[in-house]
Amino acid sequence: MTSIALIGNPNTGKTTLFNSLTDKYAVVGNWTGVTVDKKVGTLKHSAIQVVDLPGAYSLNPLTKDEAVVAKYLLNDQPDLILNITNASQLKRNLLLTIEVLERGLPLILILNMIDDLRRSGQSYDLVLISQRLGCKVLTTNARGHQGIKELRQQIINYQEVPAPQLRLNYPPMLQQAIRQAAEALEADFNYSPAVARWLAIQFIDQNKAIREYAAVHQLTPLTSQVRYYDAQQFADQIYNTRLAFIEDLLHDAEQHAAQGDSSQLTGKIDKVVTNPILGLPIFAGIFYLMFKLSFEWVGTPLSDALDWFLSVPVSNTVDHWLLQLGAMAPLRSLIVNGLIAGVGGVLAFIPQIFTLFACISLLEDSGYMARAALVTDRLMQMIGLNGKSFIPLIIGFGCNVTGIMAARTIEQPKERLVTTLIMPFMSCSARLPIYGLVVAAFFPHHQALVVLSIYFLGIVVALLVAKLYQVLFQVKERSVFIIELPEYHLPRFDVIWHGTWDKGKGFIKKAGTIIFAGTVLIWLLSSFGPTGFVTDSTRSFAAALGRGLVPFFRPLGIVQWQAISALFTGILAKEVITSSMMVMFHTSSKAVLIAALGQFMNPVAAYSLLAFVLLYIPCFATLATIKEETGSFKWVLFAVVSGLTIAYCTSFLIFQIGSLIF
Amino acid sequence: MQILLNLLIILAIVSWAVVIIVRTFRKVKVGGKCAACEYDCAAKRLKNQHDQALMKH
Repeated sequence: MTSIALIGNPNTGKTTLFNSLTDKYAVVGNWTGVTVDKKVGTLKHSAIQVVDLPGAYSLNPLTKDEAVVAKYLLNDQPDLILNITNASQLKRNLLLTIEVLERGLPLILILNMIDDLRRSGQSYDLVLISQRLGCKVLTTNARGHQGIKELRQQIINYQEVPAPQLRLNYPPMLQQAIRQAAEALEADFNYSPAVARWLAIQFIDQNKAIREYAAVHQLTPLTSQVRYYDAQQFADQIYNTRLAFIEDLLHDAEQHAAQGDSSQLTGKIDKVVTNPILGLPIFAGIFYLMFKLSFEWVGTPLSDALDWFLSVPVSNTVDHWLLQLGAMAPLRSLIVNGLIAGVGGVLAFIPQIFTLFACISLLEDSGYMARAALVTDRLMQMIGLNGKSFIPLIIGFGCNVTGIMAARTIEQPKERLVTTLIMPFMSCSARLPIYGLVVAAFFPHHQALVVLSIYFLGIVVALLVAKLYQVLFQVKERSVFIIELPEYHLPRFDVIWHGTWDKGKGFIKKAGTIIFAGTVLIWLLSSFGPTGFVTDSTRSFAAALGRGLVPFFRPLGIVQWQAISALFTGILAKEVITSSMMVMFHTSSKAVLIAALGQFMNPVAAYSLLAFVLLYIPCFATLATIKEETGSFKWVLFAVVSGLTIAYCTSFLIFQIGSLIF
Repeated sequence: MQILLNLLIILAIVSWAVVIIVRTFRKVKVGGKCAACEYDCAAKRLKNQHDQALMKH
């Protein structure tokens, strides 16, 4: 099968281009680290396979992501490579291009985001670049779908794309070392001249993946000379030669014009939003606005309307039909007080969740998220992490599982472990329904502020715990954090819509699976007791379980058995906490539940409950991912025990200190 | 008869819920990573598509 590989630095628009070329839509983010593993699609109206490899700055892998690229070039033979570059960042992007061109595979160099370059008043002599590099050069603006047609045509005619091997003028001693090693590899190991030369250069350049490969395959012409190569500092010479080549090339190919407005505007905005003093308050302000939109201005009115629809007309009509059909009390209870109340109760929060996801997608597409990572880098540095951890943590706001997977971009194992272990403290979207419920009940006039404070509580706890783990695990090595600041874009509706839908549809799907199952489970526990079916849930198993644990939760201000029992089902999925509350309070109306909760709790206890829900045991999907990524049950157990301890201590402090003040 | 029908429906719903819970736990235990995540993102779809294509070959 014909295969085309997309290779490039992070944040060069590779994923957007992948989406334009293939039938399937993949996740797009205007910030680094979105592609964490290789993605495969099919070129529209053809059988050509398109592989989107993770972004890499070099073939010498610093991260697991970059290792994917090096290993792909080593083990696979793509029919064509599309090397995507950010046209405004060619100096750095071409370093990777040279490494790939030295492999001697058919390659098309794509100067993407060409519109940004033009707006900055620059352009390049493409013919000159093509001549010097020996490959085809095309320009695209993947976001605006410009240049895609021509690129598609080139891909279809991939057999016409030449595969010359780029040969730079390395210093004589280095040239000789490369030649000797390559000749020996050809003679003794039957490598083709192109692969032998590329292997030799990469080995001399201290590429970890290639050195590992050479050791495994006992490539003695290389391994026997390793000390000589390193003593001569050939790796530095390779880098300097490549850099000098690029600088000469760009100097000769650059064509200046007047500086554009967009570039100036980006610079002006960045002066404010990345300001060391203003950056963090602006970040907090943007998130506050986001919650204001989701929980007060847009999300809540729509959510209330949906809640009314589900709890009054739908619930009453179904109950009426069931009566007419002769359904018995337990069946009516299961369907009306169980399924409609529980699953419907969670679905009523869809408007709030989708509004929040739309805001996050908008921030991602506009280019602000890269600035947020930069701004928080300073804060992260203080606790021993860096901005590289910020990106997985922000992804964890959507779902902790994907956040943990995104932590693979962190190259230092201990730093990656710390980020993985603090991920459950990031408030994932599954917790939003319970936040929505509690803030509507106890903080009706400050809903956005309270939800924002819970999110920030999660961040603060995560950072403090990270600092503690840094000391405990003796983390000394630091990852390198490089992030490109793309020019601000006017967000595109289709990207925001797809981003929102991709994030939000999982929530709807869960309503039909694990939320449904959890609801039935809690209905069983709250409808049956030692005496069999009970209409009064205070005599149920759930009540017995909750009451038994009241002494443990009393210091946190949580004294209702319903809330305590609901926390158990949250381990299935955090959304189930809300549906469990609905079922155990025997209501399908959010408004009725809000009124009922108000009778048993005060606002301080309610905030303590929110903090507990935020920090306690992660859902089992997150636990399974921690197991997969760390490869050990020890860390799963650690996540459970530490989560529970931290949640208990935090809620205890909140309730006890809060009760003294308020 | 009506009692039996009522019981059967309740049993069917409860059984289905149990099946979902068991299936989800098993999926997470065996698959981990993407399988553990309920969110059906495009990357996961493409991965599944690719896995299926590999199986066919």
